[in-house]
Amino acid sequence: MTRSIIASVGVLVAMAATSIAAHHSPVMFDRSVAKTLVGTVVEFAWTNPHASIQLDVPNEKGGVDRWGVELGSPQSMARTGWRSSILKAGDKVTVVVNPLKSGEFGGIFVSMTLADGRKLGGRATD
Amino acid sequence: MPTRTTPLLAVLACLAIGAATPVAAQGQQPPVPPPPLSALAPANLSKPRPKAPFDLTGTWQHDGQANTWRFVPETFKLTPEAQVHYERGVQALKDGGVYRDDIGQCWPAGLPLIMTRVWPIAMIQLPTAIYMVSHFMNSTRIIYLDGRAHTDPDIVVRTFNGESIGRWEGDTLVVDTKYFPGHHHWLDQGGASVPASEDLHIIERVRMVADGRLDIEYVMTDPKSWEGEWKMTKTFRRRDDTDITEVQCLPDLNDHLPATRSKAIVK
Repeated sequence: MTRSIIASVGVLVAMAATSIAAHHSPVMFDRSVAKTLVGTVVEFAWTNPHASIQLDVPNEKGGVDRWGVELGSPQSMARTGWRSSILKAGDKVTVVVNPLKSGEFGGIFVSMTLADGRKLGGRATD
Repeated sequence: MPTRTTPLLAVLACLAIGAATPVAAQGQQPPVPPPPLSALAPANLSKPRPKAPFDLTGTWQHDGQANTWRFVPETFKLTPEAQVHYERGVQALKDGGVYRDDIGQCWPAGLPLIMTRVWPIAMIQLPTAIYMVSHFMNSTRIIYLDGRAHTDPDIVVRTFNGESIGRWEGDTLVVDTKYFPGHHHWLDQGGASVPASEDLHIIERVRMVADGRLDIEYVMTDPKSWEGEWKMTKTFRRRDDTDITEVQCLPDLNDHLPATRSKAIVK
């Protein structure tokens, strides 16, 4: 006879605070932290289901850290003003992300300021 | 004049006759029935049928308020086998990671989760079937309405969206879905890590409750993963402002995304 176990409602409620707005689980991003990255675009991928930016950010040791920034779907981003030509390799940008909890160089997009001062938001997670 | 090759030719002739003989004629297997008409065959589409109570044709999206996309209820009893996965998921969450995020690694979401992703679903209703294509990875789901029965379990190829057979009951479309693969298939993502076994069975009761609003009641059983029935209703709304597009989950996609290449993924 199999033993059955009653799940903790409290644990499940805590889990329910997450969203399912990406093709992967979003729980590894720390939504309570807004980290500002000032760096140089290495690649801007205008792809489904998510666009993404690879960004070289100078670190305290005199080198650079390669950050991955996850954005929303191009379809939804286009509705907020994004275009595939808006970024190219070599552009200097300031990007705010919710970083990975693990401390790795990655985050989910919150907002961006281009070198010419234009600001872009847009939902990062659909 | 006989030659030395004559016996060989005779043997080959016998083999050829044997190969041409249907297996059924040898008395070992019953005759295989002819395949049914396909859902798109004109002869099937044109069969007389009662008019459907509603037409789903259009683009729909789950009314994703709060966490209503989830399919795991607030309380449940898992089998010991499923409980192991659930507890590993809880631990991963506490550690800032995620357990077995197979969807993130490009495995199909499968039913039921495919219905409540944030992407819309294009639906085309015919008299014989409803074709659904999710914007999310272009996942295809077909609900047959032409009176066919579920496929012989010894023949069916199990899939993440399962095999769906629908029938009309008054103003409600009742859809019976089974034949899931039993691996890399979950009832949640990044939360309650409850696996869907090959015995997952889903009954959906679809009702067009208002113009532009669809309610689908889900009753789900999976005796290998949980006890009893899980029952809930999801609301969907028309999205007349968007079309689905081609979306693929590709290896280089995940190479670009911090969440899918993170070491915090527990496999």
